[in-house]
Amino acid sequence: MNTTSPLPAAPAPSLLRIQALESWYELLRVLRTPAFAIPALAFPVVFYVLFALVLPGQWGGYQKSAYLLATYGVFGVIGPALFGFGVGLAIEREKGWLELKRVSPMPTFVYFIAKISMSLVFAFAVLCLLTVAAVGFGGVRITPITWLQLVATLLLGTMPFCAMGLWIGTLVKGDAAVAVVNLVYLPMSVLSGLWIPLFAFPVVLQKLAVAWPSWHLAQMALGVVGQVQDVAYARHALVLLAATVVFLALAAMRLRKA
Amino acid sequence: MNKLHLLLAAGIVLLVGALLAIPSPTTSPPAQTKASPDTFVVRDVRLFDGERFHERRSVLVRDGRIQSVAADLDLAPGMTVVEGEGRTLLPGLIDAHVHTWGSARRDALRFGVTTVIDMFSDHRALAAARVERASLAATDRADLWSAGTLATAAGGHGTQYGMAIPTLGGPGDADAWVQARQDEGSDFIKIVREDLHVYSDAQALPTLDAATVAALVQAARRRGLMAVVHASAQEAARESLRDGAHGLAHVFQDSAADPAFVALARERGAFVVPTLTVVAGFSGQRSALAEDPRVAPWLSADQRQTLAGRGFFTEAKPALLANARESVRRLHAAGVPILAGSDAPNPNTAHGVSLHEEIAWLATAGLSPAQALAAATSAPADAFGLSDRGRIAPGQRADLLLVEGDPSRDPGQTLAIVSVWKNGREVDRRVEIDRAPVLAPGPISDFEADAIESRVGSGWMATSDRMAGGQSQAALARIEGGAGGSAGALRASGRVQVGAGAVWAGAFLNPGEAMMQPLDASALGELVFQVRSDDGRTLAVMLFSGAEGASPASVSVTPGPQWSEVRLRLSDFPGADLGRLRAIAFTVQAPAGEFHFDLDQVEIR
Repeated sequence: MNTTSPLPAAPAPSLLRIQALESWYELLRVLRTPAFAIPALAFPVVFYVLFALVLPGQWGGYQKSAYLLATYGVFGVIGPALFGFGVGLAIEREKGWLELKRVSPMPTFVYFIAKISMSLVFAFAVLCLLTVAAVGFGGVRITPITWLQLVATLLLGTMPFCAMGLWIGTLVKGDAAVAVVNLVYLPMSVLSGLWIPLFAFPVVLQKLAVAWPSWHLAQMALGVVGQVQDVAYARHALVLLAATVVFLALAAMRLRKA
Repeated sequence: MNKLHLLLAAGIVLLVGALLAIPSPTTSPPAQTKASPDTFVVRDVRLFDGERFHERRSVLVRDGRIQSVAADLDLAPGMTVVEGEGRTLLPGLIDAHVHTWGSARRDALRFGVTTVIDMFSDHRALAAARVERASLAATDRADLWSAGTLATAAGGHGTQYGMAIPTLGGPGDADAWVQARQDEGSDFIKIVREDLHVYSDAQALPTLDAATVAALVQAARRRGLMAVVHASAQEAARESLRDGAHGLAHVFQDSAADPAFVALARERGAFVVPTLTVVAGFSGQRSALAEDPRVAPWLSADQRQTLAGRGFFTEAKPALLANARESVRRLHAAGVPILAGSDAPNPNTAHGVSLHEEIAWLATAGLSPAQALAAATSAPADAFGLSDRGRIAPGQRADLLLVEGDPSRDPGQTLAIVSVWKNGREVDRRVEIDRAPVLAPGPISDFEADAIESRVGSGWMATSDRMAGGQSQAALARIEGGAGGSAGALRASGRVQVGAGAVWAGAFLNPGEAMMQPLDASALGELVFQVRSDDGRTLAVMLFSGAEGASPASVSVTPGPQWSEVRLRLSDFPGADLGRLRAIAFTVQAPAGEFHFDLDQVEIR
């Protein structure tokens, strides 16, 4: 009677279901973190209303409300990417969640895709809010096709910032990540001309803008809304792709070490 | 590890390479001049494209042409936007029957008629006209197509204007005559068949016989020119179409078109320019355009004079208009192209403005509003082969008319003109382009000194209907003790007598040095003054403005026995042309009897 009866075969886990659940809980986690959700959703549109609609002024040949729709769009989509990855990863590393998830049967990529989907959902919500302000109150005229081009550009453009956030999340732990991400996010946004156009800055800072990935994304977005002519889309996209590769490689090296 | 290092190195190389290829960030905002001032968008406007209406379109104009028409347009930075909400954009109008003497083409353009087709005028204007109509340069005149000199008999219709007309004696003269017109630059040939028998039994004019007309039509056809015939009788018109004429410059008025004529016109593809406006004049109708507040400020002296012109031949014959309208109804129903033409500057018409009336007349003769508007846009463009105008479509010349309201319901609405563009440039619609001296804001009179003085102009004077033959009296005096404890005020007093005509009496201020000299008050906002009166009368405060002799715009004020300040917004004076403010009057009107009122601290600001 020492024969062993085989265990009934467990049904294979559905990858789709795992991905859906992980993404949903990632979104819930972020929504339940008001310190993240509220600034991410509100700041871009509040700044937009202030700079584009409330403060008077004419900027040469630019249409202020359309110009700032593009740049605050960039500002709005890179926030969730940086914070979601940077701060999320840092906290989960500190609390040991990352270890737990790594030893669970869930494939690693599911974890990353969940974070990417979360930042895309937030980014899309920010863009919708900005569009309402720009079209409803700023007199911006944009055809549905141009709008879709803008949204696609900005959503694809979140890639390098997800990677950058990931790398930051591997460098520091816990709440320190909030400080580091802010130290990168805000100066980078200002110096790329996302808040006010670059021509307001000293020439040296204008020339340095080329070093910030967000400047490249902003150039593409401004080209889409017709505020900057003759944009070299391919080259800017190449810069953003290269930056994504570099940050991902750096992050992977850190994660291997850990 | 190795693979990651490789990836990192590759990424950095790629990044540096891409960065080197990026142009450096711009260091200054683009200049405002990047968007040309002649680039503009009329957005969210109801559009009449030359044939039909479309709701909510935006039209982009660049470099004198229409660049695009769409339900929604992306705006480039710095582009001028003209709001079209509640308005209608039409192609610049084409008047298919005018005579362009003097300032005709300027007068036409000020009313949105951007192209005129002349049925007889000075052929020496033709060479320049051909250059102008091909150009997109700024201009203050409507473009011209013309018959030049007309074909008539010695002593016939067309010879009465005091210029030498080469007339025809018979069919043998036709070919040389047409050749001469073509050499002069005529765009088509105009032939007159008129002996006046339709209008008068007493008069008779020599006219071309049928054989000569037929020879002229044949000669014109051989040379590739269209032949347009003036015929006031149906039989003459019928003969001409049979002989190959391309169109009629009027609809005949002796009888309504019979079925045979309608069938002939249709079969020959002929067009008809009914000119109902001038026929209405023969029939005793009076154009009310000069009294229309939307029209009056923009009329030149010439336009006012020709609109007031009456009588052509003898007594008015209402049957003429009835026949003409019935003919238009039948011809239109059969599909014969109807073109709007005013025949300005004949009596009861004026250049430009009368085409709007003709459109409205056509809409009473069986044409829908859209068809009546097509008769003044796409139809004449098609009939005369004007390919770059008459429609709103990409590539068309940007000759445009923007009006308030909806002409698809009421064609008369085309007179509510907001803007006219010729070759993509907005037309200055003022009759006198020279700007009047500017009236500076500030106090005008406080009546503190013993004499009645004013800061500007030739000062105060009493006014009454005596200057128009009335009996009322008015006098001005300075009195002690003004508003708010000031030293003095102005008293106007007198007696109103009601007689024939307008009745008024009161005080009158000339803001200019010369009597009724126009001043530019368009930057000013309100007229402020202290007033009191214990006789319970209402004051009519009147602004004289715009053209000389135009009726004043008036606002009523009822003062009380105590001083009170009155502020009247200048924009509340209906129809006032503040660019040419001529005088301000404070008057009482009917009923008859004594009056007095006191004014103080009069200010304009």
